[in-house]
Amino acid sequence: MKQGISRRDLSLGAVSAGALSTLAWSPSAWSQAAKQTPFTIVINNSPWFDGFRKVVEAYEADTGNKVNLDVNPFGGSLEKQRASVRTKDGMFDLLIMNGLYYQEFYHGGFLTPLNEIDPGFKLDPQMVRYDNTVYWNETTKSHDPAGKLMSVPVNGNIPLLYYRADLYEENKLKVPETWDELLANAKKLHNPPKIYGIVQRGARGSPNDVSYDWWPYLNSFNGNLFRNEAKGDFTITINSPEAKAALDFYLRMAKEAGHPQTGGLAQAQIIQNLVTGKAAHALLVIAAWSQMDDPAKSAVVGKLNAAKVPRGPNGKPSPVLGHWLAGIPKNVPKARQTAALTFLNWFQTRGSQVKYLQAGSPPVRQDVLSDQALWKDPKNRWMSAMAESSSFTRLMWSIPEGAQIGDVLELRLNQAVIGELTSSKALNLIADESHAILVRSGYKTGKITPLA
Amino acid sequence: MKIIRSNFDFEHFFLILVACFVLVPFIWIVAAGFKSQISLLQGEIFFTPNLDSFREVLFSKTTEFFSNACNSTVIAVISTFLIVFSATLGGYAMERMHCPRWLIHTLLGWSVVFHMIPPITLVAAWFPIYRELGLDNTYSGMVLAHMALHLPMALWLMANFIHDVPIELEEAARIDGCSTPYLIWKIIVPLIAPGLAATAILMFIFSWNEFTVALNMTAKQTSTVPVAIAKFAQGYEIKYGEMAATAALALIPALLFLLLGQRHIVKGLTTGALK
Amino acid sequence: MNLSNPVSELFWRRLALTPAVGVFVLLSLLPLANLIAMSVHEIRWQDGHSVWTFIGTSHYERLLDDGLLKKGFFNTIFFSVAGVTIQIILGFLLAWGVSRISRGRVLYRTIFILPILVPGILIGAIWKLMLNYDFGLVNGLIGLINVQPIDWLGTASLALPSVILVDIWHWTPFCFLLLLAGFESLPQELHEAALMDGVTAWTELRYVYIPLMMPVIVVTFLFRFITSLKVFDEIYLLTGGGPGSSTEVISYTIYRTFFTQDQMGYGSAMSVAVLFAIALLMVLGFSMSRYKGQGV
Repeated sequence: MKQGISRRDLSLGAVSAGALSTLAWSPSAWSQAAKQTPFTIVINNSPWFDGFRKVVEAYEADTGNKVNLDVNPFGGSLEKQRASVRTKDGMFDLLIMNGLYYQEFYHGGFLTPLNEIDPGFKLDPQMVRYDNTVYWNETTKSHDPAGKLMSVPVNGNIPLLYYRADLYEENKLKVPETWDELLANAKKLHNPPKIYGIVQRGARGSPNDVSYDWWPYLNSFNGNLFRNEAKGDFTITINSPEAKAALDFYLRMAKEAGHPQTGGLAQAQIIQNLVTGKAAHALLVIAAWSQMDDPAKSAVVGKLNAAKVPRGPNGKPSPVLGHWLAGIPKNVPKARQTAALTFLNWFQTRGSQVKYLQAGSPPVRQDVLSDQALWKDPKNRWMSAMAESSSFTRLMWSIPEGAQIGDVLELRLNQAVIGELTSSKALNLIADESHAILVRSGYKTGKITPLA
Repeated sequence: MKIIRSNFDFEHFFLILVACFVLVPFIWIVAAGFKSQISLLQGEIFFTPNLDSFREVLFSKTTEFFSNACNSTVIAVISTFLIVFSATLGGYAMERMHCPRWLIHTLLGWSVVFHMIPPITLVAAWFPIYRELGLDNTYSGMVLAHMALHLPMALWLMANFIHDVPIELEEAARIDGCSTPYLIWKIIVPLIAPGLAATAILMFIFSWNEFTVALNMTAKQTSTVPVAIAKFAQGYEIKYGEMAATAALALIPALLFLLLGQRHIVKGLTTGALK
Repeated sequence: MNLSNPVSELFWRRLALTPAVGVFVLLSLLPLANLIAMSVHEIRWQDGHSVWTFIGTSHYERLLDDGLLKKGFFNTIFFSVAGVTIQIILGFLLAWGVSRISRGRVLYRTIFILPILVPGILIGAIWKLMLNYDFGLVNGLIGLINVQPIDWLGTASLALPSVILVDIWHWTPFCFLLLLAGFESLPQELHEAALMDGVTAWTELRYVYIPLMMPVIVVTFLFRFITSLKVFDEIYLLTGGGPGSSTEVISYTIYRTFFTQDQMGYGSAMSVAVLFAIALLMVLGFSMSRYKGQGV
């Protein structure tokens, strides 16, 4: 009798092998995952992009799937994303949106909730939620954690306090917890024109400079733009006594320990002052860190360190979000949407996030950020500050009209910095103009008593 | 004799003075390609040159410089040629073919108005059409866009230069039995050669440096040099060195075109001139 | 040689040009029509679709109260008039100088064209570095003669003149190129005749060259003026409209409204209003020059 493998045996074997492989499914078994169609990511060029690109290449190597990257200058990415979502057939399958402009994509209904592509997809609990900006409730139009999952963060860009650790050691200074302590330290190190105690972004920018720089002061002094945004109460409270205290402090900082021409400093000049050694402190986003230790780009290699942003006397530290979210638009074929989501699923695993860090970008998983073993590497000395900041991050606003309010903030705050307006007048003007914007757009809003 | 000599010195003095004002920033810009970023930020005047930026732009793994330069050249050359050709014919038609005055005024007025439309809105209006017709990310789409942008100016310039050609020459040629194409090619063109060359140079430069449309209507395959340069202004870091290196390299074809254009185009156009 | 019928020539030329003209008209009329349509609507996006609500002249009324736009308008006019006038004068003198000398013509011509070969972004980025308060070349140079550093771009009164300076550097080549072409189109005999008559250079300039070059000067001025009204790159890179609103210009206001703030309706109304205002200026300018011309 022939002892061969019958067809029935084979099919039985195939079925059990298939069952076994399903059981063995895990993020590490990516190479056996179903092949995905190529898809396109639209993203802007930035210091952390290099790390992102390397991680994409690692994904391609791991899975054999193809990813196209459409790289753009900072503003150009928004233009292209907007154009793509507003046509019938989108060109881009994964949109990398910045925390300052993603609102229009949420409000405009251009994105697919991720669970409509794959009901089984879960955002890993270790991924930082960044003030719940990944969630969206279409009815209340707010970032409701019980709402739908719309995006996955790819970069948690927040400001940190960059300071000269070498000068701190020389002068036996302690890392400041409050703004008052920061001012004291800055005054100690202030020695113009050789070195400025602190440099601040006082310039009028587009989209923003001075408002982004001042926001941590505002929130940590318990000031707010709206009374209760999460509950839909958009009463303007920017001209409250708390906000005035925050603005006065900001101006005082500039006068007593800052750059003589703060009103002309944009982000590029802050970086310039730091890397040339002309500034002892600055509030700067973590995304700019990689330049600081590069001998071709910095004269203070190894001398800088980062701490979480200081807080007001009675408030909490409030690093303001300038983060990046990855969303999937509605107007692209299902196959490409699935491919994009598969990438995001791979991206959020611990292994991928460690690769991301090693490639030179800040990770977005809390367990990687808080990994003390990783902190030991002097290259990652900023990580502890960032890990501590995760639970305090604050969004500037969640509405598309925020862009208009941002322009008002930039103009008036800049005028306060250069002395054209007093802080009370500036804040009152901001309040009036923001109120007009919201009224025009039909929000439930109001004003508080103006400052004297 | 004395008057002429002092005039001569004054001219050269003035020209050299202005040349310095032009060259110092220009050299500063080109030198940026040879400096390290920290050296640039510190404003060092004496520095040790290095080729890192150039290496990054030309040979790095992610470089697209050659493809961008190629795209820019193709688009610029084709659109310049088409624009100058259409503008010359159109200018001649306007000046010599008894076009009604209202048409001319409308056309000129329209070119003024068109020039004032912000580039962003142009792109926003064209983008859906381009998507429909499949013109986005193609050479033809870009050439068409550049023609639409710059033809009005070229038309007006050429019309002006043709206007200056004395009508008697043409009448003489007509009596001899010249056909219009021959007339234009052999008589008008040589006489407007300096203006034609100037227009061609300007159209080339405008197309070469055009940014807004190129940014939005192209993807990797047809991206041009200005887009590549803009990508180095990254928001959190401006890579001055790479920007300058890219621009310096891109200058080479532009300069070549300029020098060749001055010598050969003008020469070629003026041979066979009426005498 | 055959005698061609001019009428049939025209017919063929018109026919050949029609498709090109057709596409061209489509590409240029469509944006304007689009702009006008958007300017009388409020445009929102919901569920991935645009919602157009007709609001009549609301946007235009809002324009009248827009203080920033008014400031921008005046800044732009000042910028263009001052900047272009200097560019024309400078370009003219350079073209005249180059057309007179015999040696080094090609060299000078190449040098004077160089600035427009550099893309606007790079010009903005590098000049920003050069005008930097702490590290800029300009402050470094004036430091050599013991002058204190000046914040060129951060001082409200100096910012706009500094931007004008960069604009002059950038665009004088444009004027130079066209004016030189104009000079080279003039017959050689003129200069020789003037020399024989023994007139000074200034007299020759005033009574011979300027009148003859007037058409080219006017065309160059008009074109440069119109493109100058659109100034954007320099403002965006050098000052961002600040300090305060001292360098706010129209195209920057429109850019922010249209793009940063995504207010398509209001931004369109702004664009249309500006277009209309400029067109009006042009018409006035033209009719005034024609009026003057009749006196010649």
